[in-house]
Amino acid sequence: MHGLFRWSSKWWPGVIPLVVFWAIAAWTSTSPLETDLAARSTSALKDTVLDKRRIAVAGRDVTFAADVFSEDGRRSAVASVEAVPGVRLVNDETRLVPEAKPFVWSAERDVVRVTLGGNAPLPASKGRLLEAARAGLGGVEVVDQMNLSRGAPPHFDNAALLLLDQIGKLKDGKVTISDSKVSLSGMARDLGGREAIAAALKNLPEGFSVAANEIKAPPYIFQAYKDPVAVTLTLTGYVPDNNVHAALAAAAGRRFFSEKVVDNLKASLGAPSGFAGAVVPALGALSRLSTGTLVVSDREVKLSGDAFYDAAAAQIRAGLGKDFPQGWQFKADISVKPAAAPVDATVCQQLFSDLLAKGKIRFESGRATIDPDSAGLLDRLIETALRCPTANIEIAGHTDADGEDAFNQTLSEKRAQAVADYLVKAGLPANRFTAIGYGSTQPVASNDTDEGKAQNRRIDFVVR
Amino acid sequence: MAYLVTFHWGWLLASLLLGLAMGWIAVVHRGQGVSKRTSWALAVLAAALVAVALARVIPGRPGYWLDLGLIMFASYLFGCAVGSWLRDWALSRNPPTA
Repeated sequence: MHGLFRWSSKWWPGVIPLVVFWAIAAWTSTSPLETDLAARSTSALKDTVLDKRRIAVAGRDVTFAADVFSEDGRRSAVASVEAVPGVRLVNDETRLVPEAKPFVWSAERDVVRVTLGGNAPLPASKGRLLEAARAGLGGVEVVDQMNLSRGAPPHFDNAALLLLDQIGKLKDGKVTISDSKVSLSGMARDLGGREAIAAALKNLPEGFSVAANEIKAPPYIFQAYKDPVAVTLTLTGYVPDNNVHAALAAAAGRRFFSEKVVDNLKASLGAPSGFAGAVVPALGALSRLSTGTLVVSDREVKLSGDAFYDAAAAQIRAGLGKDFPQGWQFKADISVKPAAAPVDATVCQQLFSDLLAKGKIRFESGRATIDPDSAGLLDRLIETALRCPTANIEIAGHTDADGEDAFNQTLSEKRAQAVADYLVKAGLPANRFTAIGYGSTQPVASNDTDEGKAQNRRIDFVVR
Repeated sequence: MAYLVTFHWGWLLASLLLGLAMGWIAVVHRGQGVSKRTSWALAVLAAALVAVALARVIPGRPGYWLDLGLIMFASYLFGCAVGSWLRDWALSRNPPTA
């Protein structure tokens, strides 16, 4: 041992080359060592959720800056870096991301882009939302203005993804999550979009609720155009479903006895409630016009055109709105067709016969109440009667041979009288009309078939 | 420490060999050694530097360089001790004839 002390006093000359070695080692190894430590620290943080991570190494000291999302996350991230072999000190410059209160997230759509704004809880969910927006809205530019914040409600990602899906159904608008309240506004892209969004919102994750859903839909349009030249009724626009479609087509067939119905209707969701209840009477009013257009836009019904005579115009204006379901509005712009030139009695008879060949005045079964569906035909008969002011007209009621003769006789008289009353009410002088019932005594077809019976049940106009 | 040893094993080996050589020579060296007082001072200096390194007082690169110097110096000292001891052992078996 003593020797060692003695010898050690002579070890110093080796220190000179040692210092040279040391200088060379320090010169050459510092940079590789720092690179190596940075790589090891980065890989140690691979599984930790961080944002804006920055690692700087000076010698063996690591300066670690990042946004972290919880106190635990911060501790564990710093501990992971400290545990990297070779790291001497860790300068913790991590920052807890601020807590957003209320936690608001929004997606706003205009014509060319979707802007995601507000807060997102984690980088991963932010990435997922952006990806979903890009995938779900093909071709639309997606702008990311989201910040990362703490304080998101549970299941935030699912709620936001569901709402992003809905953004695709909007032409423009905005969806917002504020804590657990969801609000939507804007205009749906298609008819029925509003309903589809409302249905999808039922699948919001637990805890979320809809605070405001102010999605508007494009107007629900139904149009009917009566063309007296082409003798057509053209139906365009939308109907709620096939049942309503069939009902409308049947109503149009009954009321437009001479026109060909051109049916271009399409079924679509999003009809206002009471659609059929308003459109069917409106079609009835249109059938009383010589030429006219019916436009139903949401709950507003606009009828314009020419009535056959003054009283009809007044009846239509006054009568239609009454039949409508609640909340529907009616605007009538009805003028009166200029009176046609007078004709003599023979032509008049011809006109009556032509009209009654195309359509029949209908009554309730077994009774003398005129079916409202016949209003269109009656208007045209009245117009014709106005053209031959001097002619006296016999209104002849006929029935089929079913039932007792006495009953049929009375029924035919009552029905003829009902028609005469209708004409008088329309402003024609009562003395021009004679109502006569013939019962089943003057059949025009066989009473053995249903078809023949239907032909025999009729009202004839005979100019005397 | 283990990391530094594996990362700088080349330099440490060089220091060790330098130490072995110096130790080997020191036994038969006739020159003047450092005085007792000076060696104490040097020992205190070394201890102080070790203390500073352990306390991690010096930040960044200088701190690393200190660590590196100390670990190389330790390796050198160990080499010296082993070299001197080996030379002494070799001499005691074959005493010089002169």
